[in-house]
Amino acid sequence: MLISAGKGWHGPTPTPLKIPVGFPKPPTDIFKTNPLTEEGFQLGKKLFYDGGLSKDGEISCGSCHQPFAAFSTYDHDLSHGVKNSFSTRNAPALINLAWMRDLHWDGGINHIEVQPLFPLTAPNEMGMRLDSIMIHLKRDTAYRRMFRNAFGDANISSERMLKALAQFTGSLVSADSKYDKVKRGEATFIEPEKKGYELFKANCNTCHREPLFTDNDFHNNGMSLNRFKDNGRQGISLKRTDSLKFKVPTLRNIALTIPYMHDGRIATLDMVMDHYTSLDTGLVALDPLLRHKITMTPKEKKQLVFFLYTLTDTAFTRNKRYAP
Amino acid sequence: MNKLLFFTAFIIFSLQAFSQKKTVKKTGILFTNIANGKRVVPADSKYSNAFGESYTITKFRYYISNLHFITDKPSAAVKNTFLADAAKENKFILKKPAGKIKGISFLLGVDSLLNSSGAQSGALDPLNDMFWTWNSGYVMFKLEGKSDSSTADLQRIEQHIGGYKDPYKTMRQIDLYFKKGMPKNVIVQLDLDKYWNGIHKIHIARSPLITSIGEDAVRSADNFVGMFSVIE
Repeated sequence: MLISAGKGWHGPTPTPLKIPVGFPKPPTDIFKTNPLTEEGFQLGKKLFYDGGLSKDGEISCGSCHQPFAAFSTYDHDLSHGVKNSFSTRNAPALINLAWMRDLHWDGGINHIEVQPLFPLTAPNEMGMRLDSIMIHLKRDTAYRRMFRNAFGDANISSERMLKALAQFTGSLVSADSKYDKVKRGEATFIEPEKKGYELFKANCNTCHREPLFTDNDFHNNGMSLNRFKDNGRQGISLKRTDSLKFKVPTLRNIALTIPYMHDGRIATLDMVMDHYTSLDTGLVALDPLLRHKITMTPKEKKQLVFFLYTLTDTAFTRNKRYAP
Repeated sequence: MNKLLFFTAFIIFSLQAFSQKKTVKKTGILFTNIANGKRVVPADSKYSNAFGESYTITKFRYYISNLHFITDKPSAAVKNTFLADAAKENKFILKKPAGKIKGISFLLGVDSLLNSSGAQSGALDPLNDMFWTWNSGYVMFKLEGKSDSSTADLQRIEQHIGGYKDPYKTMRQIDLYFKKGMPKNVIVQLDLDKYWNGIHKIHIARSPLITSIGEDAVRSADNFVGMFSVIE
């Protein structure tokens, strides 16, 4: 018989993931073995914003994944870790993760539940030992109560902590931008946005595939090797053909996630446009999809950026449910 | 009164079920580790390999999964996972199957599914320090220590052997058959000498550190198969 949390307790409240209109079914159901509940989500949110999970007590997941920046680090090429350290990559936005495969810029993470193990323990991120985190959680009466409410008893384990975090991050759904409203017939693009959308469909749509605005795959988009010798996907697969391939980020909320690329080397969207139109199409490892020269007039570049702004979803970034 | 009767009946029934359960025979399988013919005790002894490279061991752990007896009858797949740790006694309890027991079978490491199933507990808890956080997957076999032959910082040896995807799979199927029938106490012995000196020759001087997937890890994994025997 299961041990209940008290009289009249009927288990956590199920809150299944809502699939937005026009979205595909997630490639794998990340909540199949981790049923999404209100209590699990709330515990995950507390963990997400808890600086106590870091070595210096200051840095939480939310420090580098800020809600107002669509859960990326606003205006930072690299993230700050404990003791003034720096990470070697740009903090990716956390958007529609329930539809994503192979997390991180190099896709090294094979399941959303095990992702936090990296930032929690990396010496240049949160720098904590997993056993110290367990001690921190077990000492806290609020955590003991919340683990009991979410999982039925007060047992605090790494498995439950990671599942709760996945319930929070996997629930971060953005599907209410102007673009979405246009698709649902609730709004219309103004002229430059409309032109920009046409340009997007002609030039960007293969990798940044609608409606998630990513193909969940890895491509070499002409980034040169950086000072960290970051070879991207090759570091995970060891395939030479994966050299300098990086995960295609979603373009949803892209205007809020400056700067751009895996190491934040490009400061603005206008400069991203310039990158793609001035690419050396003869680069050996360049993705075949980019071999065809992209040409756009300055006006067209502006129109494309206008379209990208329609992917900003303030209902997502200001959602009180996601806020600390 | 009715309630009491029902309750009593329930207790009797449960006790019966319990006693029936007890009749299922179980037996423990002991995993032991030797090097140079001596039992491996972390941080206690000095060993040397076939190439004259001496070393000490501070940590030695490996996964044993799907551990089961080989019988003369076809049987259902067994799913279990144990973490063997040279610092502890490693006796893993199995149900004794029907039929003639011919040997013992297990996977050194854990299968692809367990490597990609998200957060897990027990032997697979990441707290056991056997999970790679940056390229998800379990370290199947972890040997740490020091050696004068090591060219690494602080003369470290770190043999962290992992990888669950082709072509860098490192889990290995081990089948051991009893020559004289099943012994009273089943003891599986791992001989570390054969880790260094197996199908491949692994020199500490050349590869003191193996801490990611790749060809070196696969060479180590190929040597896993020859390390094991049953003591009869």
